Amino acid sequence: MSKSNLPPTQFELEISDDLKTEEMTLSMGPQHPSTHGVLQVILKTDGEIIKSAEPVIGYLHRCFEKHAENVTYHQVIPYTDRLDYIASMNNNLGYAIGLERMMNLEVNERAEYLRVIVAELNRIASHLIALGTYGLDIGAFTPFLYVFRDRELILDLFEELCGARLLYNYIWVGGVAYDAPQGWIDKVKEFTDYFEPKIKEYNDILTFNKIFIERTANVGVIPPEVGINYGVSGPSLRGSGVNFDLRKDAPYSIYDRFDFDVCIGKGEMGTVGDTWDRYWVRVAEMFESVKIIRQACDAIPEGDAKETVPRNIKVPPGDYYMATETPRGELGYYIISDGGKNPNRVKVRSPAYSNLSVLPAIAPGVMIADLVAIIGSLDIVLGEIDR
Amino acid sequence: MKEYFRNIYQAIATILIGMGVTLRHLFTRAVTIQYPHVKRELPSRSRQKLFVNMDDCIGCLQCARACPVDCITIENIKAGKDEDLGVTSNGQKKRMHVIKFDIDMAKCCYCADCVFPCPTECITMTPDYEFATYDRGDLLVHFSQYSAEEAEALRERDRKEKAALAAAKEAKLKAAAQAAEKKDKKDN
Repeated sequence: MSKSNLPPTQFELEISDDLKTEEMTLSMGPQHPSTHGVLQVILKTDGEIIKSAEPVIGYLHRCFEKHAENVTYHQVIPYTDRLDYIASMNNNLGYAIGLERMMNLEVNERAEYLRVIVAELNRIASHLIALGTYGLDIGAFTPFLYVFRDRELILDLFEELCGARLLYNYIWVGGVAYDAPQGWIDKVKEFTDYFEPKIKEYNDILTFNKIFIERTANVGVIPPEVGINYGVSGPSLRGSGVNFDLRKDAPYSIYDRFDFDVCIGKGEMGTVGDTWDRYWVRVAEMFESVKIIRQACDAIPEGDAKETVPRNIKVPPGDYYMATETPRGELGYYIISDGGKNPNRVKVRSPAYSNLSVLPAIAPGVMIADLVAIIGSLDIVLGEIDR
Repeated sequence: MKEYFRNIYQAIATILIGMGVTLRHLFTRAVTIQYPHVKRELPSRSRQKLFVNMDDCIGCLQCARACPVDCITIENIKAGKDEDLGVTSNGQKKRMHVIKFDIDMAKCCYCADCVFPCPTECITMTPDYEFATYDRGDLLVHFSQYSAEEAEALRERDRKEKAALAAAKEAKLKAAAQAAEKKDKKDN
C-alpha cells in the first residue's frame, strides 16, 4: 500500500499499488452558481479531493484602467462605482481622497461625516451580501432572504440620499454630490437601532448553527504568513488573526475620530484562519460599523456639504497611491497626473484580486464541496477582479 | 462517546434555535409588495429616466461634455440677428436653435453628471423607471422641438450663411493680396 501523493492535509487516501488511478480535470464555472460571478476554476481532482485549483479570470474585463485615461478626472467616478459594485461608496471614496491629497484640497466637515456614514452603511450592505451568499453556498437559504430584506433598507436610504440604489456616483472630489435631505440622519439612526438586534438573529439562525460550523470550521485555513505573502487583506486577512485595518493603521478621511475595534479571528470554532473565522470577522465588523455610524450621526455638523467641491479638477503633475479599507480589503488607486484634464494612468490594486490569488495555495487537499465554502469565505466580487 | 452525544444535542438545539427565528417570522408582515399591482413611490431624487425641458435649453453643450459615455447628441444652429427665440425660465436669452437633442437611454449610465453643470436646470433625472422596450432603437429619445424639415431648412440656411461668409472672406483676402501686389509694383 502506498499513500497518495497529496500534500499532507485532512484527507489521506490509501491506495493499493496495483490499482490504476487517474486525475480528473474539472472545470468549475464560469457559470457555476457558487463562484460568485463569472469565475472559472480549473480543478485537478483525485476523486473528491482537489490536487490543484487554478482560477481563470477575465470574463468580466471592461478595461477600466484604459478607460480612465480617456475621460476626465470627474468622469472616472461613475466607472469606479462599477469596480466593486456592491460597495460602490467605498470605491468612490478611495479615488476621491487620492485626488484630494494630490490637489491639497481640504474637504468640508459635513461632507466628511456624510462620507463616513455612507461608507460604513455600504460596508454593512456588502457584508450582508457576503453573509447571505455564504449561507447559500453552504446550503442555508433562509438567512439569504433575511439579509436581503435588511440590505434593502440601506439601499432605500441611499436612494433617498443620492437617487441611486447600486451605482451611486455620490462621493466627489472635494465633497459629496448631494447634501443629506431633511430627516435623513434620523432615518440612519433609526436604521442602526433596528439593525443591531437583527445581527443576533443571523447568529441564531446561521453563525452558531452546528451544521454550519461543521461545514466551515477547520476548512480552508489561511495561515497568517501565507495570507500576508499573498497580499490578502481585509476581513479575509483579519480572519487569520492579523491585526491590519487601514482605518486604524493609516487613518484617512476622519476615521481617527471614531472609537471602534478591529475584529480579528481567534479560532473560536476551530483553527485560526478557517472559513468560519473569516465569516465571523464580517459579522463582528457589522457591529463596529454600526458603532461608527452612531458616533458620526451624533457628531455631524451643520453646513453646506458641497462647499468645497471644485468647479474644475486641476491636478498638479505627480503621482499618488491611495489605499482605503473597503469591505473586501485594501483598495488602492495609483493615480499619475501629467497636469492635464485626464488622468495619465489610474492603476487599481484590487483587494478581491489579491484575496483570490491565495486560492491555489490553500485549495489542495480539500474536497470540492469545501472549495465552494472557501471561495465564498473570500467574498470575491468579479467586477473588481477583472475590472 | 460523550462527544458523540454532545454533538447530537448541539445540532438539535441550534437547529431549534434557528427554527424559532423562522417561526417568529411567520407572524410578521411581509416586506415584499406585489409589484405591477402595487407600486412604491420613489424618492424625488431618484435617478431613472432623463428628461429635458426644451423650453429652457440654450444649447450650451455642457451636459454632452460632462457625459462619461457620450449618450447625449446635440446639434445647434446660431440664431439670426433679427430672430428672437425667447428667454428661459431663469432669464437667460436663448441664442441657439437646438435642432437636435438626442439621448440614447440604452447607453446612459445614470450617473446624473449631466444634471449638475446645466446652467438652466433643464436636464433632469426623473423617477420614471418603466420604459423597457422591445427594440433598442426605441430607447433613443428625441427631445428637439424642431421637425425634420425645419431642422433641414435651418441647416441649409446655416450652410448658405457659412458659404457666404467664406466667400466674403476669400474676396477680402484676394482684394488684400491685389492691393499688396499693386503696392509692391508702385514701390518698385
